[in-house]
Amino acid sequence: MTKACVFIAILFAAILVGCGERASPDSVSPHAGSPGEKALRLTFSTAETGFDPVKVSDYYSGLVISAIFEPLLTYDYLARPARLVPNIATALPQISDDGKTYTLTIRRGVYFTPDAAFKGLPDSRRELTSADYVYSIKRFLDPKNRSPYAFLFEGKIVGLDRLAANAKKSGHFDYDAAVAGFETPDRYTLRIRLTDTDFNFSHVLAFNLVGAVAREAIVAYGDDTNAHPVGTGAYQLKRYVRSSKIVLEKNAGFRELRWSADAGSDTADQAIAARMTGKKIPQIERVEISVMDEAQSRWLAFQRRETDIEYQLEELAPKFMTMDGKLKPEYTSQGIRMERSVDAEIIYLFFNTQEKIGNAPNPIGGFSKEKIALRRAIAMAYNIDDQINVIRKGQAVRTHYPIPPGIAGHEPAYRNSIAYDPQLANALLDKFGYTRGADGYRTLPNGNLLILKYYSTPTERDRQFDELMKRSLDAIGIRVEIHKDRFAELIKLANQCRLMMKSAAWIADYPDGDNFMQLLYGPNAGQTNSACYKSPEYDKRYEQSRRLPDGPQRNHLYREMARQMEADTAWLLTDSRYRNVLLHPYVAGYKKSAVNVSEWMYMGIDRQGPH
Amino acid sequence: MSAYIIRRILQFVPTLLGVVLLVFILFNWIGGDPAYLLAGKMSNPEQIANIRKQLGVDQPYYVQLWIFIMQIVTGDFGVSWATNEKVSAIFATRLIPSLTVLVPMLIVGTAMAMVLALLVAYQRGALTDRAVMITCTVGQSISILVYIIVFQYIFAFQLGWFPVQGWGQDFMTNLLKFSVLPIVVGVAVSLAPDTRLYRTFFLDEINQDYVRTARAKGMSEARVMGVHVLRNAAIPIVTNVMIQLPALLAGAFLIERFFSIPGIGREVLLAVERSDFPVIKAVTVYVAMATLVFNLLADILYKAVDPRVQLK
Repeated sequence: MTKACVFIAILFAAILVGCGERASPDSVSPHAGSPGEKALRLTFSTAETGFDPVKVSDYYSGLVISAIFEPLLTYDYLARPARLVPNIATALPQISDDGKTYTLTIRRGVYFTPDAAFKGLPDSRRELTSADYVYSIKRFLDPKNRSPYAFLFEGKIVGLDRLAANAKKSGHFDYDAAVAGFETPDRYTLRIRLTDTDFNFSHVLAFNLVGAVAREAIVAYGDDTNAHPVGTGAYQLKRYVRSSKIVLEKNAGFRELRWSADAGSDTADQAIAARMTGKKIPQIERVEISVMDEAQSRWLAFQRRETDIEYQLEELAPKFMTMDGKLKPEYTSQGIRMERSVDAEIIYLFFNTQEKIGNAPNPIGGFSKEKIALRRAIAMAYNIDDQINVIRKGQAVRTHYPIPPGIAGHEPAYRNSIAYDPQLANALLDKFGYTRGADGYRTLPNGNLLILKYYSTPTERDRQFDELMKRSLDAIGIRVEIHKDRFAELIKLANQCRLMMKSAAWIADYPDGDNFMQLLYGPNAGQTNSACYKSPEYDKRYEQSRRLPDGPQRNHLYREMARQMEADTAWLLTDSRYRNVLLHPYVAGYKKSAVNVSEWMYMGIDRQGPH
Repeated sequence: MSAYIIRRILQFVPTLLGVVLLVFILFNWIGGDPAYLLAGKMSNPEQIANIRKQLGVDQPYYVQLWIFIMQIVTGDFGVSWATNEKVSAIFATRLIPSLTVLVPMLIVGTAMAMVLALLVAYQRGALTDRAVMITCTVGQSISILVYIIVFQYIFAFQLGWFPVQGWGQDFMTNLLKFSVLPIVVGVAVSLAPDTRLYRTFFLDEINQDYVRTARAKGMSEARVMGVHVLRNAAIPIVTNVMIQLPALLAGAFLIERFFSIPGIGREVLLAVERSDFPVIKAVTVYVAMATLVFNLLADILYKAVDPRVQLK
């Protein structure tokens, strides 16, 4: 009894003390980094899946992979919109006039990190050659790897698909077979021949998962390549406890590379450049990543300086941010900084534009005037401001254009023609014969029942979206049924063009507008085109755009395509989320990348410096 | 006794078959098609078919069920669909962190609850008894989430006595540095219900004739309570502890998530989120087997605790 009383008394006393005062800024946890330590500690909010570039598709695995493996090209660390720069290639690729042949020269003297897989070689390491990139690209199409990013190369490189088709038949992918689309005239030259004109293939070569792997390592580690990444990048994997701890250490043999980036006119970027330019890359010697599922734990650990940078605190934003998106004074006074940027993503509500879903008529499908009017009315009734302010608690911005900021082809001045206006939506429905019955709900112009089906997952967050959809459609007298299903099943149904209405998101794979505009390309119905939108006008322009490099001509086509989509109302673009990254004052050089660029190698840390 | 044990082991087979069937039906009915999750953002029907083939989910259901049964027989559940890690390796690496937290939690929690229950049972009806019971009722009504958040905030963040989260490389560091707060949380959560439960066990015994006889013979109260009452109340306590033991295999997922402990509980949650059937299958089967084994052990322990118990 006495023990219990003491325990309870201590607990209540502690609660009283805890409620009364906040941990002081100077009360750094004994578990924080020691002065002089050049280690960056950070968290992932979701467990990684592994570090074999062809086998993963999640964001966090990609971050680690981009620190270990190096693609031929990359993006300038500061430039926005993203700008391609050479990485392992000595220069940007030479592209033939017809946009079908890419020639690259690879740096000499770049080595894979020492590994047992290279036994017998001096220092257990090997020089990177052009053949490594050929091997690495081929792996994407090896059916055994079931790569989520196989689409980057499918149908694009001469002869590669035939090799993949043979592998599907024989069960064996012949990596030694010659592919007409790859030429390696010498150890340092790589020529890639494409099946069709593509002036934007460089973005694929800069994609963070298209780094070079060593065939010896892939063979040596067999089915466990996810846990044994061997690359040429600034870091190598030192310790790995799956789903828990990832420790990267500086690659001692990393090539000579000095900090350099295009700061442009942005003063914050200029400050980063002034502090970092000329420094040897990487400055941070060790990156320690802890997987922390819960936002509460991440937030407390960050405040106690057990971590140095915090990427994902969306749920807790009101704790550290003011309503106008600024860091609260109690944190700025501690020197904590917040880097706020809009994610390279779009979130949209898609409408199935096919006349039938399965064998049943689709009330919102087709391109007759009354069907377009119905989709337009739904889009005009949906309250995007509520979505942003209530559901996302202000942590998002309205999206007007299908290509988000920071991505080539984005149009900052573009304004979406579909505005929130339930009154006009009602008038539109009245005009096209969607009359209201005695119960206040509308029927189809032919008098049949009008019931929409909206799909979502059975999560708390989605329940809020369901309620908003119901409220929005009630305002214009349209009945909606909410259908719940598992995420995987919804993807399956979307791929079969069997979803009537659903909210979806697309995050940039690479910072080029094509990655977004393909979402409405007719032949992509059943893959990424969940609206199953098939517009000859849109498709014609999209096919033209694919043959053009980034520039005014392509942007003009994109604008026309965006207007076409709005006219047909295949989507309602809603919002893009903010990313609020918190940093302690001793962390330098951070800039949120539009895509997965190895940002840690560009950062610095000085726990002893003035801050 | 041997015949009893053999008979009980034979009964494991139909029980396990029931579990296997249930898991298999539930996964195929509710689980969703994993190929669509693994295919990534841009997949065509050919890729989906390739993934289904590689996972073996394109096989007829009876073939898949047979493979599942053979996996149980051989103990080889293959590899995780999401990460390609061997399921056996997942258990080998995740079980130790879970047990590092859960075993001390169970021992300390049970010991504390027994002592507390014995004390309040002895003072039944007194102010102390009522106060503890009210506290236990309140404590029992609070969600484990609240315990975790409050304890983490106060003892790790405000007072800085423990790290907010984390896990090290060696056993002693993990036990003495990273596990202490999770263990305290776990004990705090289990203390209230266990104390109430054990109190009733002790009260049942305190009113028995043999207690009165022992007192009449002049035995000290410490001996009456600590030997006679405790020993006779041990059977239901053993049952309660044994019921909790299989749960050690499944881990304490909330505690593991909040304190970033790389245990089996977090892994199970991840597997469910990723529709990672091999991991789900293995965990379910192992927990079912552990439940059967610990139930048998409990029965054998009854005999050891109370020689009057006959195993037939």
